Amino acid sequence: MTGVRVLEALLLLVLPVRSLSANDPNEQCLMCHEDQSLKNQAGRSLFVNKGSFEQSIHGKSGISCVSCHSALESVKDFPHAETLAKVNCASCHEQPQKKFDSSVHAVARVGKEAQAVTCVSCHGYHDVLESKDVHSKTHPLNQPQTCGSCHLSRVNGKKGQGFVKDFLQSTHGIALSKTGLANSATCASCHGSHEVKRTADPAAPISRSHVPNTCGQCHAGILKDYAEGVHGQDFVKGVRDVPVCTDCHGEHQILTPQDKQSKVYSTQVALTCAKCHDNEDLIRKYNLPEKRLRTFQGSFHGLASAYGETKVANCASCHGFHNIRPSSDPNSPINPAHLPQTCSQCHAGAGEKLSQVKIHILDPKAANYAGYMIQKAYFVLITLMIGSFVVYILADLKTRFRQRSRKV
Amino acid sequence: MDIKALSDVELSNTEASHGSSPCEASLLVRNDEVFIRMTPIERMQHIGLIICFVLLVLTGLPLLLDPAMWLKKLFFFETSFAWRGWIHRIAGVGLISLSVFHLFYISCTQRGRDLFWALTPKLKDVTDALESFGYNLGATRWLYEKGMLRRFFDRYPYWLFPQPPQYGRFNFIEKFEYLAVWWGNVVMIASGFFLWATNLSFRLFPLWVYDIFKIIHSYEAILAFLAIIIWHLYNVHLTPGVFPMSRVWLDGTITGRDLRAHHPLEYEAILEARRLATSVRENSEAQRKGGQMGEAGPRDRKS
Repeated sequence: MTGVRVLEALLLLVLPVRSLSANDPNEQCLMCHEDQSLKNQAGRSLFVNKGSFEQSIHGKSGISCVSCHSALESVKDFPHAETLAKVNCASCHEQPQKKFDSSVHAVARVGKEAQAVTCVSCHGYHDVLESKDVHSKTHPLNQPQTCGSCHLSRVNGKKGQGFVKDFLQSTHGIALSKTGLANSATCASCHGSHEVKRTADPAAPISRSHVPNTCGQCHAGILKDYAEGVHGQDFVKGVRDVPVCTDCHGEHQILTPQDKQSKVYSTQVALTCAKCHDNEDLIRKYNLPEKRLRTFQGSFHGLASAYGETKVANCASCHGFHNIRPSSDPNSPINPAHLPQTCSQCHAGAGEKLSQVKIHILDPKAANYAGYMIQKAYFVLITLMIGSFVVYILADLKTRFRQRSRKV
Repeated sequence: MDIKALSDVELSNTEASHGSSPCEASLLVRNDEVFIRMTPIERMQHIGLIICFVLLVLTGLPLLLDPAMWLKKLFFFETSFAWRGWIHRIAGVGLISLSVFHLFYISCTQRGRDLFWALTPKLKDVTDALESFGYNLGATRWLYEKGMLRRFFDRYPYWLFPQPPQYGRFNFIEKFEYLAVWWGNVVMIASGFFLWATNLSFRLFPLWVYDIFKIIHSYEAILAFLAIIIWHLYNVHLTPGVFPMSRVWLDGTITGRDLRAHHPLEYEAILEARRLATSVRENSEAQRKGGQMGEAGPRDRKS
């Protein structure tokens, strides 16, 4: 390599400059910019790595320096002026630039920096690679690092800084980093690439009205189930209070249901559902049945679940999850016709009997009067018995202490 | 033949502090003589019961409390709740085995049959409880001293409870506790069995019956737990005079002095048997030569 360099230098001394540039339009630029120590007055390196440029998509497709640095096309005197007009990617990449201009990045600020994000922030400079290339900064495998270069520390606000970190620990992030699945969801899969928009923007793929379809790009079967369920059907009707994917699964920190930290881990499901089903406003607004969480927690299922038992039934065990249906729906697992089968998933042979009783009991007295009376009787018995113990003990102590003091 | 023990003054102090009236000491039963109160097999049953009971309470009681409390931290690993269940069931099986063994013990051995009869509550135990409480409370004596209801008390001096009752081999407290163990075991084993065999119960009974088992098992557990920590632990640990602990459950023995103080009727029964034996022996020896006083040996005498 050094041998070649020395040879080139010798050739440069001998041969006239112009004739070289005729063969390779970049050679003239590289004559100076190949020097690793080349710096501008501000001390910024002006070195251009010829090798990586030639490997880049632009280098491979024969685009020359001046194609982008078009201000130099007419310059004849070298060295040229230090400040040149900025490279305008849009001169070729018109569509992406248009999308970018509508994105949140177009107006993003970091401190006093007017335009914090530009094409090169994500794509790099001379070494731009096709996004299909695994080494590309925009390849799915590398997107978390690329986006993370700002979204781990530079962006304003603590919340925004956590997103990439959360993502890296999520099941999608682990699929990328550990399993190496390039088709796992990564930043651009949900947020889009050039057209990244805020959640509040109705056009954003992550806006409430688009979340199911965005997730459904990959999870098509689940989107189908969701659309069949009561939540999905209301969602299609335009009800925006119904949960979408992210309400139960989270956003960046999505974990598998087997993960203890997951919002849909078996012991967490009840609390996740309760966010809406224990919400007074929503209960009133949509006439939902009351006290679902409390009646579940009062049952053995709820109790064992609260202590971390994963085998007991949670909401989803009986109601299903993506395609939850009301009991009136003949396909619902809690439809009277299906209840025996639903209960016997766990309670083999007992489904028929169990299906005849009420679950989510609001009034234990009415539901089991004998049980209620036995409970009351025990309460009285315990109070009386322990009360007598205590009274007897106090009287006993009184006598003993009096006798002791008399002895002394 | 009866000669008053020299340590009578000291003894009466001990007796007073135990709330039972003294009976006369005799040389036939020395103060430091050791009697067996619990044989090794009985102590083992008691220790087995302690182990099972503690395990059952520790693994069962959390279910009755709010899981949001610190108790939840005891269940810190994923299968801890399942472990809790299995320890509870194993201890339950231990309790059942113990009960079966005990049934065998009280029916197939002479000592067991004697103990069972001695532990069976009689009418005297009801009056003992009343008299003991009345004596300890001293409310009627106080009323009498204040001159209230004099005519009533003069006519029925029983209600003044001037003396604490005298107990035999087992006092009403011990008999009540034994009865409570029986009652508790039957209730807990029966309800626990159906709670364990969940799916069997669901097939046999409607759900409300199962719920009743659950209610009974829970409340009976609370009752048993409170009874043990309040009643039993007071009587065998915290009572002044017994504190820090009665050692009967460990060494199984009781001294002549304690026997006289706490179980005067049993003491008198032993004494009577010895008097009889002594006089019989004396008679027979007098017939031969007359002279030496031999040692009487009742059944449960150790040395």
